[in-house]
Amino acid sequence: MKISLLAACALAVPATIVAQQATPSRAMTARPAAAPTLIKNATVLTVTKGRFENTDILIQNGKIAQIGKNLTAPAGAQVIDATGKYVMPGIIDPHSHSMSDAVNEGSLSVTSMVRIADVLNPTAINIYRELAGGVTTINVLHGSANTIGGQNATVKLKYGRPVQEMLFAGAPPGIKFALGENVTQKNRSNVVIPGQPSPPRRYPTSRMGQEEVLRDAFTRARDYRTGWEEYRAKVAKGEKALVAPRRDLELEPLVEVMEGKRLVHAHSYRSDEMLMLLNLAKEFGFKVATLQHGLDGYKIASEIAQAGTGLSSFADDWSYKIEAYDAIPYNVAILLRHGVVATINSDSDERARRLNIDAAKLVRYGGLTDDEALKTITYNGALQLGVADKVGSLEVGKDADLAIWSGDPLSVYSSAETTFIEGEIYFDKKRDLDMREKMAKERAALEQAERGPRPTRATQIPNEDDK
Amino acid sequence: MALLTRRFTMATTAALAVSAALPSRAPAQIGVQCERNAPEVYAITNARIVPVSGAVIERGTIVIRNGVITAVGASAAVPADARSIDGAGLTVYPGFIDAYGSLGIPSAAAPAAGGGRGAGAPTTAPAGPQLSTAPNSLHPAGQQPEILAVDLLKADAEAMAGPESAGLTAALTAPSSGIFMGRSAVINLAGATTQEMLIKSPVAMHIGFSAARGGGYPNSLMGVFAALRQMLLDAQHYGELDAAYAKNPRGMRRPENDPSLAALQPVLARQMPVIMLASTQREIERALDLAKEFNIRPIIAGGGEAYLVADRLKAEGVPVLLSVNFPKRPTNAAPDADPEPLRVLRERAEAPKNPAKLAQAGVKFAFESGGISNWADFNTNIASAVTSGLTADQALRALTITPAELFGVSDRLGTIEVGKIANLTISRGDVFAGGRVTKLFIDGKPVEARAPVTANAPSMAAGTWTLTVTLDIGEKPITVALIEEGDRIRGTLQGALGSAQISDGSVSAAGELRFTVSITLPSATEEATFAGQINGNAVRGTVQIVGHPPGSFVGTRPAAEGAQGQQGGRRRPPQR
Amino acid sequence: MTHLFKRATLGVSLVMLAAGAALPVRAQLGTFNPRPGPQGTYAIRNARIVTGTGADIANGTVIISGGKIVGVGANAAIPAGAQTIDGTGLSVYPGMIDGGTTLGLNEIPQGANATVDVNETGSFNPNVQAFYGINPHSAHVGVTRVVGVTTVVSRPTGGIISGQATLLNLAGDTPPQMAIAPKLAMVIELPRSGFAGRGFGAFLAEQGGNTADATRARQRQVDSLKQMLRDADAYGKAFDAYAKDKALPRPEHDVVLASLVPALRGEMPVIFPADAAADIRSAVTFAEEMHLKPIIIGGRDAATVAPFLKQHNVPVILTGVMDLPSREDDPYDANYSVPAKLLQAGVKFAISQGANSADSRSLPYVAGMAAANGLPKDEALKSVTLYPAQIFGVADKLGTIEVGKMANIVVTTGDMLEARTDTKFLFIDGRPIPLGTKHTELNGMFKDRP
Repeated sequence: MKISLLAACALAVPATIVAQQATPSRAMTARPAAAPTLIKNATVLTVTKGRFENTDILIQNGKIAQIGKNLTAPAGAQVIDATGKYVMPGIIDPHSHSMSDAVNEGSLSVTSMVRIADVLNPTAINIYRELAGGVTTINVLHGSANTIGGQNATVKLKYGRPVQEMLFAGAPPGIKFALGENVTQKNRSNVVIPGQPSPPRRYPTSRMGQEEVLRDAFTRARDYRTGWEEYRAKVAKGEKALVAPRRDLELEPLVEVMEGKRLVHAHSYRSDEMLMLLNLAKEFGFKVATLQHGLDGYKIASEIAQAGTGLSSFADDWSYKIEAYDAIPYNVAILLRHGVVATINSDSDERARRLNIDAAKLVRYGGLTDDEALKTITYNGALQLGVADKVGSLEVGKDADLAIWSGDPLSVYSSAETTFIEGEIYFDKKRDLDMREKMAKERAALEQAERGPRPTRATQIPNEDDK
Repeated sequence: MALLTRRFTMATTAALAVSAALPSRAPAQIGVQCERNAPEVYAITNARIVPVSGAVIERGTIVIRNGVITAVGASAAVPADARSIDGAGLTVYPGFIDAYGSLGIPSAAAPAAGGGRGAGAPTTAPAGPQLSTAPNSLHPAGQQPEILAVDLLKADAEAMAGPESAGLTAALTAPSSGIFMGRSAVINLAGATTQEMLIKSPVAMHIGFSAARGGGYPNSLMGVFAALRQMLLDAQHYGELDAAYAKNPRGMRRPENDPSLAALQPVLARQMPVIMLASTQREIERALDLAKEFNIRPIIAGGGEAYLVADRLKAEGVPVLLSVNFPKRPTNAAPDADPEPLRVLRERAEAPKNPAKLAQAGVKFAFESGGISNWADFNTNIASAVTSGLTADQALRALTITPAELFGVSDRLGTIEVGKIANLTISRGDVFAGGRVTKLFIDGKPVEARAPVTANAPSMAAGTWTLTVTLDIGEKPITVALIEEGDRIRGTLQGALGSAQISDGSVSAAGELRFTVSITLPSATEEATFAGQINGNAVRGTVQIVGHPPGSFVGTRPAAEGAQGQQGGRRRPPQR
Repeated sequence: MTHLFKRATLGVSLVMLAAGAALPVRAQLGTFNPRPGPQGTYAIRNARIVTGTGADIANGTVIISGGKIVGVGANAAIPAGAQTIDGTGLSVYPGMIDGGTTLGLNEIPQGANATVDVNETGSFNPNVQAFYGINPHSAHVGVTRVVGVTTVVSRPTGGIISGQATLLNLAGDTPPQMAIAPKLAMVIELPRSGFAGRGFGAFLAEQGGNTADATRARQRQVDSLKQMLRDADAYGKAFDAYAKDKALPRPEHDVVLASLVPALRGEMPVIFPADAAADIRSAVTFAEEMHLKPIIIGGRDAATVAPFLKQHNVPVILTGVMDLPSREDDPYDANYSVPAKLLQAGVKFAISQGANSADSRSLPYVAGMAAANGLPKDEALKSVTLYPAQIFGVADKLGTIEVGKMANIVVTTGDMLEARTDTKFLFIDGRPIPLGTKHTELNGMFKDRP
């Protein structure tokens, strides 16, 4: 079966031919990756193995080489004094729409054939702003326009690098599902703009129909798989002159889902729709990786735990639509207490920059410990995305994706000062200040070169005084 | 009886006078011989000749007979029956070729009947560029590779005045819209009939990446890629089925004839190149990735940031049809428009340097008009590339022999050599250093290069727009700066909805605007689809956001961006 | 001895209230805001007192009686019969004020239109009052106050004259019980420069106008606004004259013009939503020309026009501190750093979470973010307590812990702006507020569900 071949093709672009790259204005100049870095005397929040005061971290070859006291810097190492500062793993945002040139293929109810990886924009400025919030890995998801959406992309925010280098190597592929109001479009078709035709209705317009769309799609996918199995059996028996069945890019990802090779991230709000999906998944023999948003997840925490499904939620966002009206900030804590791997996500280029504050809210509302709270924006996200062997905590051997914070990251008064991915600096407060100056100079020069300064304004603003 | 005939004659005359006012043909009249038997022998003497195929002839003669070059040289004899043109002070180049565009294809080509599986039923006509359709296609409009540009051609001398003023004598022309846009033709820009204009068809398959408007699948850039993949896979499957059936039809269900998939067979066999529209670095890389995935032969068209991908283009042997429609600095800024990002300033600064960089990297490229709105910019922009490091010879080759080679017509076009089609571009002064194109020969017939009727045709959507967007969360002022490339648009959104790049948009000749862009609302980052109608320097329309009630937008741009004092933006050159 | 006993009593009653026992009111959409206790005499002792005036008391007592703060100090005497709270390890703060919400007007913005009353139809609605649209039983009330936001300005939006904003305490069964100033301020959204927006703008787009035409259209809108204000001025004067001299012809009443008179007389401030520098300038210049008392709300570009604001002594309610930078080349902290810049420039400002009322409870973290980006911590606190009170002219009642002020008091486990901090006791208008909310109720219902 050729199913996974295609996905592999799309991702595997030889590194040698990526020679040049448009360097976005704020991209940090990458130093040679081989140069080691020693971060000295920080409070190290490993997240999984406790916190250590006055501790050093040695980064070599993009990995965390050592964590301990009084480490010696190897020759040529960059040494950063982090006295009074905190180091935590890079934040993982399990639900993002950053750097995507398209979010929804909402024309059909099943668009499993579309791929976010096809439309990533590595120059999107907001990913730099997220780096400034200590974020290093994001899960770029298809939108919630339809029941079965497109394939997501797990991305490291290597701003200024080619997109092929940003795709998280080895991260399992996934797909977005969506349930509820956004899919039924009940929350957008109730306003009619005079003179504008109301948009055509797309099946399904009810939660009943959503179940039907899923059942239909997976039933078709099952038959599709059988068709290929029969074909391969004939080939194996040595039958000649066979023509392989038609490849169907809509059904292939669903077959992968049933075979446990593709993670399902399902946008869902109400507990009944989550339960519907969990039961349907069981029937078709797969596990839902995460419920996204899952704001009412706390109402069926045991069932979610039993299904082995994770949940990624907002810390305290609520009441913006009907299905978010029963959302409570205790959601994640309740789920964690029931054994669900739960995380906080942003779904927003804005909120992604302050997920540390969102995590801190769980201490207040759910009574989580600091480490438990930190896990919801680091390690648990790594688990949900299947990359916990590489990122999500500070452990020797893991990727050196981490940030130095001015203080305790769970404090609103703290901010990320330097953000590393695989040992390279992608954000640094001091360098950022230098860059502002450089950009201002470049702008002035370019404007000068373009036939003088900015054009005069077409019209003067009335009432404006020049002061 | 006599009365009837006269009326008929008059009507016919009127119709043809508009569509076929070409020098060597009289308007048809019933009962009178249409064709004039004027001798078609010309000699251009005393001219500076740049043959491209060899050394420049500082003072020489070119002889043309019946559409073909019959002699070139410093001492070529002028035949006694030739009309002699004194070329003193003139430079003669091989006729320039526009390596990509939709010249000769009216932008509002009326859709043919049918089209699409289960056709007959008129689909809710989506707003947007009028997609050409093929008869009895099994695939929806926009995904019909079987379309032939030559079937859509209209001989319209007036439409050619602009390109001719830039010295263009021939062009690769293709349908302007769609995902699989169809197959192109190389045409001469003059001729009484489309068949007379035609040089070669089909030349290449064309892929645009513009999503369908109006909500049908695919309506996003992601969907476009998926649709392309599925169709190429289906074409592979179709080929296998066809081969199997051809081998032994007995007992096998007859494969459904599918003209679309049939048209893709030469593409899969690498016999026909695929011209893919891609401007930015990431668009080019995506196109190259797709080509690699299906082992097809890509040619990039547009290529604004090709210099950033030069090494890969060179390594993979991919030529570029480089748009000379360089981004323009907005002439005016609205009082409160957000400043242009540095990225945009850089793009403008880099555009003229791009060709020299490609030349240096060894990437094969030809120039194309790229939906240019002002034909006077064509040679001005090439001249700026020359002052930015491109040699005049490289520039000339990119307008002549390179496109001829790429399109398999170098035996007929691209140089001044005996036996080639007599397409010549004649200028007073070096055309890449401020010289002016004065005359052309197309298919061996002289054409006067006239300044186009509209000296400065407006661009439909380009410029800096200030918009007020009304959403469920209130009114949000934003600035949208758009670059127009044919009917594709891209740009930047800034203001109260955050900042984002617009990379998937289109505008029709009738001013229907559509783009999708990420916006950040207080609660979430969402994708917004703006769809509106441009009316002069104003625009209004609707905004669709998943999970939100529809919003609306209204906005303006300063007068000088587009049509100054023009009623409704309905004037737009029909190219691309 | 009485102290302990009383504390226990109070503790029990608060717990009961929090659990939702014996509370009959269950309002629209199943919301649940437990009813405040009585305006008794309460003493919070042994607590760190962050008065908000700059003079903190490391270990002291706050005494509340009859709705007011009657004693503050390290050794304030506790009146006989006071119910006491042992504040050991706790901090006492003045209640926070958000000067820019739509709380009570805006329950579920997407897909539930009928719960949204922020915007009246038409362009000139000076007589429309937010006060009359407030739903006291909004679930937002409870969840907002328990983080320490005790008081909000709720404002109408849209149109040109949007209507009148109201100042509310987040406690009470009825709008009159909540209101501190029912008619607090007029909201005027001056048409923006350059952007073809309302009314004429839409018309323009149909006519194919351009930016210059839009600017002229805007001027026409501003002219009609001025005309209305001048009419209102004349209207006020006519009634004054008639009151003095009944021999004059009796002027006819007009509720619309009448509602503008206080603003024209400087008795009611005018809130101008404005973000762009030019719009901020326009609003101030307009206000001065029409003799209005301006407050800018929004203020994204306020830092770039700070000297101008300082010179004209115009305060700003910042609603966009957490927003993404609006321009591609803006630095990442473009909006985070606006408060620090305004402080440095000497411009009076307050921080607001903005119009998304379900999220008004995030106000402290917005102030915290400003503090993480250059604003001193004590200024961050003032920007959500004293400064909004000053801007709206209610600093005699609100904004600090001082004797004589309304007893809006938050007792916390730590720094009130920190997200990890919890609220232990809450007083609004001197009434103890049970800490139950819709959220605690659902939490209680499901947290132990097997």
